[in-house]
Amino acid sequence: MADSASPVRIAACGCITPFGDARETHAALLGGACALRAVPVLGREGGDPVPLALMPGRSLDETAPPAWLPALRRLHASVPGGPWGSPGRPVFVTGSNFGVGGLYALRRTGDARFAVWGAPPTCTEELRLELGWGPDVSILSHACVSAHLGLLQAARAIESGLAEEALVFSFDFLSPFVAGGFHALKILNSEMPAPYRERAAGAIGLGDGAGFVVLSRGRGDWALSGLSLYNEMHHFTSNRADGSGFAACLEGVREAARGRSVWFKGHGTGTLDAGRMEIAAASLAFPGAPITGWKGGLGHTLGSCGIVELAVAIESMRQGRAPGTVGAGGAPMAPSVADGSFGTGAFDGVVCASNAFGGAHAAFLLSHV
Amino acid sequence: MFELHIQRLVTDDAAGEAPAQTRERLKGSFPPGATRRMTTLGLLVGGALSKVDPGPQDALVYATGFAESCALEGFLDSFPNPSPTLFQTSIHPSAVQQSMIARQRPVGEFMPLSGGPLLAFHALRASLLSPSARTLLCGGEERGTWLLEHGLASDRTFAFAAMLSREPGEGSLGTLRVSRCEGTGALGLAALFDLLHSRAPHDAMIAPGARLQLTWR
Repeated sequence: MADSASPVRIAACGCITPFGDARETHAALLGGACALRAVPVLGREGGDPVPLALMPGRSLDETAPPAWLPALRRLHASVPGGPWGSPGRPVFVTGSNFGVGGLYALRRTGDARFAVWGAPPTCTEELRLELGWGPDVSILSHACVSAHLGLLQAARAIESGLAEEALVFSFDFLSPFVAGGFHALKILNSEMPAPYRERAAGAIGLGDGAGFVVLSRGRGDWALSGLSLYNEMHHFTSNRADGSGFAACLEGVREAARGRSVWFKGHGTGTLDAGRMEIAAASLAFPGAPITGWKGGLGHTLGSCGIVELAVAIESMRQGRAPGTVGAGGAPMAPSVADGSFGTGAFDGVVCASNAFGGAHAAFLLSHV
Repeated sequence: MFELHIQRLVTDDAAGEAPAQTRERLKGSFPPGATRRMTTLGLLVGGALSKVDPGPQDALVYATGFAESCALEGFLDSFPNPSPTLFQTSIHPSAVQQSMIARQRPVGEFMPLSGGPLLAFHALRASLLSPSARTLLCGGEERGTWLLEHGLASDRTFAFAAMLSREPGEGSLGTLRVSRCEGTGALGLAALFDLLHSRAPHDAMIAPGARLQLTWR
């Protein structure tokens, strides 16, 4: 399903990753850098080393207040406009885990100071007070497509006239809760991720990340259109083997991209079947589009990945060069996989896609106004 | 003003019912064997959703403040050997996914929301803004144990599902109107559930600048 209304504009967009802001992250990925390091999966409690990309100086172990809070304050300081959370200027907070690391710490230590950050409503309320937002703060949480849902809701609020501008604010920071869960599923293991590459077994890395987008009706040089969602509801952790879920979602973006020359920023976590299906669907929907993915360098920033990678995509278009697929070795799954960086001058749009548990798929077209 | 008509409504107040009783009561609503690993919230939301019959073209809006409290508690207690099953079922949209996956029901748009005192407004706004001809608005909470002691879980167990349409139709049960208005107010999820469960009319501010008029036929 895709929204067909006229595109909304991006008045501002930014992100933070272990590499820095959007510009620094873009530069690092262009250089093929990888922020992933082997970290014990349960932090100070040990466990297998797994590839995680943590903000500089931050431990996987939670603190109270969270050690990631200063990073969010810095990110928020770059958000223009407002007053956010007031009528006509709603905030859409999106994420997968919020302060769930606080729950883990609460259970392990019994220290009640962790509690307030532990659930989406309480964590978001703390954040709202911290960042000075008004009361109109929605929370959307749909695992790794969460950021796309925030963008869609914000776009609709603007298109309907309910909002003049809207802020989508997204974050996910790692904890033993999250790392332990993905490790239990065996997709987070000792191997470094190699998105869109053939190898014996799949592997992902996880990363800290946060980002924001200010959407507007008439302000900004970039437009979002064809925001599309599809939920297979086939299996909790795998997709339909025929790839139909990927295709159904991208079908919603094709109309918006008609007549344009696009490149494709895929989800590309490093799992094998999903990578192959995503490439097949993207190649069919957007023939000739180079396919790239950055989670081999950033790690999977989970619920924030849709906005973190959107910020890098915008920076790519601004700078005229997009990072190629970053990650450990192996043969590309298809010739369309961009091995190295490529110029964006020949393109007038980028399709950005994300996927999530439950066979959830989301995508949109980013283009210059 | 935005308006949606309630075509079907299912509410389930599990009140003091034990999780095992809920499972026994609702297991007939799901395919054989499907309920073994389902959570209480999954059973309740899934049971309500099954009666409003979600279709692939429907938009599905799901509201829950604390979601899978018991699965979260169980997952946290499974460390240092975390359970992959409890990790999967502890994610926020899990209750809906449990039942939709059990029935193999794809859907285009699925909007899982969380929130506090304005959650009802945000869920209604998401429903009203969807371009789909039919929107299924569902929600619920399950009572936690040790998370509840820290204010991180609901103290009630309930679920609802409503089929909403833009056109009134002949058999509509009621109407939800949300309009811009001066003033302020709040309406949490449990309060919305109580209105729906008792078919009570309501005319009040539910958020800063937003008024809800809920009428019944």
